[in-house]
Amino acid sequence: MPPDGLSRLKWFTLGMAVLIVLALCPQFLPRFFTYLLALILITGLMATSLNVALGFGGMYQFHHAVFYGVGAYSVSLMLIKTNLPIALCFFTAPFASAVLALVMGFICVRLSKLYFGMLQLSLGSLVWVVVYRWYSFTGGDDGLHGVPIPSLISSVSGSFYFTLIVSVVSLGLMYVILNSPFGQILQAIRDNPERSETIGVHVRAHQLVTQVIAGFFAGVAGVLFVTVEGSAFPDLMSWTLSLEFLIMCLLGGWFTFLGPMLGAAIIVSLRTMVGVYTEYWTTVLAIILMLLIFFLPEGVIGYLEGFFKRPDVSTEEDR
Amino acid sequence: MDFSTTITFNGLIQQFIVGLSRTTILFIVSSGLSLVLGVLRIPNVAHGSLYMLGAFLCYSVATLFGNSPIGFWFAILLAPIGVAIISLATERGLFCHLYDREHLMLLLFTFALMLIFHDAVKLIWGSEYRSLTPPVIFQGSLPILGMPFPKYNLFLLSIGPIVAVGLWFLTQRTKIGKIARAAAVDRDMVGAVGINVSWVFASVFVIGCFLAGLGGALVAPTQNITQGMDHTIIMEAFLIVIIGGLGNVWGALLGALIFGLTDSMGIMILPQFSIVFPYAAVVIVLIFRPKGLLRATW
Amino acid sequence: MLSVKDVQKSFDRFLAVKNANLEVERGEIVAVIGPNGAGKSTLFGLIAGRLAPDKGRIIFKGKDIGGLASYLICRRGLSMSFQIVNVFNRLTVFENVQVSVLSRLRRAFDLITPSKRVAVEETREILKSVGLSNVENRASGSLSHGERKVLEIAIALGANPELLILDEPTAGMAPDETASTIKLLEYLNSDLGLTILFCEHDIELVFSFANRVMVMRQGVSIVQGTPQEVKDNEQVREAYLGGS
Repeated sequence: MPPDGLSRLKWFTLGMAVLIVLALCPQFLPRFFTYLLALILITGLMATSLNVALGFGGMYQFHHAVFYGVGAYSVSLMLIKTNLPIALCFFTAPFASAVLALVMGFICVRLSKLYFGMLQLSLGSLVWVVVYRWYSFTGGDDGLHGVPIPSLISSVSGSFYFTLIVSVVSLGLMYVILNSPFGQILQAIRDNPERSETIGVHVRAHQLVTQVIAGFFAGVAGVLFVTVEGSAFPDLMSWTLSLEFLIMCLLGGWFTFLGPMLGAAIIVSLRTMVGVYTEYWTTVLAIILMLLIFFLPEGVIGYLEGFFKRPDVSTEEDR
Repeated sequence: MDFSTTITFNGLIQQFIVGLSRTTILFIVSSGLSLVLGVLRIPNVAHGSLYMLGAFLCYSVATLFGNSPIGFWFAILLAPIGVAIISLATERGLFCHLYDREHLMLLLFTFALMLIFHDAVKLIWGSEYRSLTPPVIFQGSLPILGMPFPKYNLFLLSIGPIVAVGLWFLTQRTKIGKIARAAAVDRDMVGAVGINVSWVFASVFVIGCFLAGLGGALVAPTQNITQGMDHTIIMEAFLIVIIGGLGNVWGALLGALIFGLTDSMGIMILPQFSIVFPYAAVVIVLIFRPKGLLRATW
Repeated sequence: MLSVKDVQKSFDRFLAVKNANLEVERGEIVAVIGPNGAGKSTLFGLIAGRLAPDKGRIIFKGKDIGGLASYLICRRGLSMSFQIVNVFNRLTVFENVQVSVLSRLRRAFDLITPSKRVAVEETREILKSVGLSNVENRASGSLSHGERKVLEIAIALGANPELLILDEPTAGMAPDETASTIKLLEYLNSDLGLTILFCEHDIELVFSFANRVMVMRQGVSIVQGTPQEVKDNEQVREAYLGGS
């Protein structure tokens, strides 16, 4: 889709309008909804980072939540156990996730597709089980609570603004990366790794860098989570949470940039709304998921895009 | 805390036997998972839920018979059959339309099933845990080499080989097993020679799920039957299948041995971190053999 | 430029290539022919680095490239297009070729520049030279079979190779598409100075167009020579051309 000047201006205006509305939210929304919005932004950022590897890189990122959890634990541990400057703690925590992604990726990118996913799953579970059991350091299954967050960003509206700024910047960075030559080649690898290799692309190195990028932004999301919730716990890196993020990508559309954000918004608000009426909200999620797989395998945005713009995308490669 | 870390020979043997009986359960469950993964290529996340369902069904049937010995045997038999019937319904109703989808889609689809099963169990049995006592013949322990061994664990130990031989017979000696093996390698080819692959797949799926139910039923008297059972077992079963080699039933046996034994031996070395040992073992195996120890079927 | 010496490759005890020898000089068009299962595709896979040879040497521009990873071989100036259509389905035609150019320009790890602004002219030029300019914004998955085969070649060209290897470039094409593809290959050879190595089923086509022909049978290269020499060779007549 070649964006001519007009439509680019339109998109820019639309984006700014959304941003301004979001920025005004804490002024007129009840505190709970501000909190919910922050949660949606964080979850959406997380799902988008997952989609960098999944939808754009074609990697079976089965256990992305590990990087989320490691980001959250790193910042919590640094804030609780060290006297490092607070800004430094916030800044370095995502790098912990990135380093883990580098190590795990180094082992995993030797394999592809399902094998990659399974290997990532096992390595991720190892991290999870260590965190889960190491009471003296990570608080075990209780997790870490009452993380000392500076008051400026720990209030409901403060944490919302912090989340808003950080996630918009992160999304912007990911957008730039995906539209760079790196991103373009990444999508080529997704479509056809063998062919990419024969045009001179070092596929594994490319995938490894993608892992690090995806892990980094997942770490950012983890840090934001701690800012909003003030705690970190092992469920943040549980496998089922990873699957939930996958569902968000699928729901919104994993070949689109904003799809995962939309998916996160739908699922987080649904959980909150349905959760009021019934404790069986996961069944609702499951039914949505099944309907999606049967009827909308390209997700909401993917479907709309296919409907309006590209009626000619072949689905041959899905087989 | 004052636990003594003196490792005696007797203790070691005892832990070994405990580990082996745990291995049996792991093997039964993961061989079913491996079968489904190898032939149908479905990474069935709901496998753990079927295990949990097997355990709860076993509890209910046994309670129905007032915990009599006959009731126990009925429960062990009926629970996996019940699970098999449920799985047949899901296969015919849902899965058979999805075989040509990507693995990722299948994975997410079975995740949806897992969520539904989870809520269904919560709805039917409530959220408290249940427990089941084994019948009188299996209570107490039996002295072997001068050491007492829980009888029920010995019973479990005897089931493992039966299942292994049964699976070997099924895959190597029966027609359906041969077709299933051929289909695992080249599905289109098998379809092309005029065999109804659809029903072969259904049978394999049902057998795999039956094993999950059996594992659940067998484990019921040894531990609390809880809502969280599905999560733990599915993770472990997946890891076992991966280190064994996807779709390889003997790999599942080997993987279960590694997993079960490192777990029970780990308790003797570092009790708090015992659960870390099997996970670490898995990672070490995979670093050196990323596709598993034995040859994957695909 | 390329010389393959006594190369052997087996899969699970099945010898796909027993003993292959091949010489390609700069500027030539060389064809490999042979019946199905003669090992042509395997040989090309070995040359392009998709497979590693068990024995023998593959020398490209004076260096042994046997067993080298295919991305490294590509960077040395050898590019391959596939028999089975092998394009990037979700990308547009333009992006398909652009990816290849970006990779050659070593921009793979450029994370910042919008790719809309990189390598545009070059990509357009390649598309123009193969005649795909009119469909450049279509998703490549939606092209016709013939168009995709041409796109295949365009992707290979994006790597700016000195030696272009084509595995059955006209397989499954309609006669007029075949004719224009041949024209394209001749243009690439004469005007852009590319050396071309290809394999083909259509023997008439091969003899009308290649400078030299190598005949393979059951994994062994029987003979290599000018079309006339090959036609006259007794062994070839017997083995491949039958009575014709």
